[in-house]
Amino acid sequence: MSTVLRLPAYLGVGLVYVYRYTLGVLFPGGCKYHPSCSQYAIDALREYGLVRGVILAGWRLLRCNPWSLGGVDYPHQQRLFK
Amino acid sequence: MIVFSPLSPLEDLLRNVLEWFHGSIGLPWAWAIVAVTICVRLLMVPLAVKQIHSMQAMQAHMPEMKAIQQRFKHDKQKRNEELMKFYRDNNVNPAAPCLPLLVQFPVFIALYLVLRQFSKHPPGGDLSWFGSLVPDITAHANAHWSGYLLLAIYVGSQLASTYFMSTTMDKTQRTMMMVLPIAFVPVLVNFPVGLVIYWVTTNLWTVGQGLVTRQLVPKKPPPAPKRSSRTPPKEAAAESKDGAEPKLTDEKPAAPAQPRRVKRKKKARR
Repeated sequence: MSTVLRLPAYLGVGLVYVYRYTLGVLFPGGCKYHPSCSQYAIDALREYGLVRGVILAGWRLLRCNPWSLGGVDYPHQQRLFK
Repeated sequence: MIVFSPLSPLEDLLRNVLEWFHGSIGLPWAWAIVAVTICVRLLMVPLAVKQIHSMQAMQAHMPEMKAIQQRFKHDKQKRNEELMKFYRDNNVNPAAPCLPLLVQFPVFIALYLVLRQFSKHPPGGDLSWFGSLVPDITAHANAHWSGYLLLAIYVGSQLASTYFMSTTMDKTQRTMMMVLPIAFVPVLVNFPVGLVIYWVTTNLWTVGQGLVTRQLVPKKPPPAPKRSSRTPPKEAAAESKDGAEPKLTDEKPAAPAQPRRVKRKKKARR
């Protein structure tokens, strides 16, 4: 992918970093998964672009609930987009 | 200028809740904010209970976890992976999930919007907190000396709540989480005092919940049966009694760091 096409994804990555250093600090917490949800979002955006990255990150956040087991889960393990 | 904001329904909802606490219950605005905060945290208590149960269950697995941590002392990523696999295999997970955390954000943002609105068009009623100590909760925190006092309390409560929340974080991350609230103070002085009240309340709740959790979860794992270096391990003892070659039995305990389930999962992948 060319750099220009990647720009929207980088914007998303930037937003995740903004979250990490603002709300993420104000509301401390952990994550049941490895990598953490925010890291997953960054990786997913880098690997799959803005739209698919956002969908993957959103789906991950929904899975990161009290009823899930957590565990190791990398974006490249996803089965949503092939 | 009227700009439609996707957050305006949220703002209206929170405003109605605050007005209900203020009008029907008769709480001053500041205490209405505290009440809303407590309601949000009360709704989240069942999630905390689930986590406490998980932490209690985890106590039994402490030695194995320590072993994993020791084995991958220098490889953070591998250590996290192995720990997560271990949690999954044993059906425990001490870490808090991310989703409930997100529940707080909309409330927080809506409160910011409502307070901003209040400072433009003050609603009727008392906008102070503790009498003359905090004169106006819609004013910026740097408008009155009490704002700085509240910010100091905020930093303290934030550090304490980070201390209780960060069970699985590594050291560098933890240090950063401890430094950032202090670095934030120059930014926070421009926030309405009411928001700082929200923060302080929710942090103090976290601390209280953390203290209760610590009470419920024993710090030391239940004492394991003592084994001296001279006593052979159970399986070895059984085998030596048989006198024959070691047999593979179903009861053989699985090695903790070798999750079979993960392997199976890989095969199942398309």
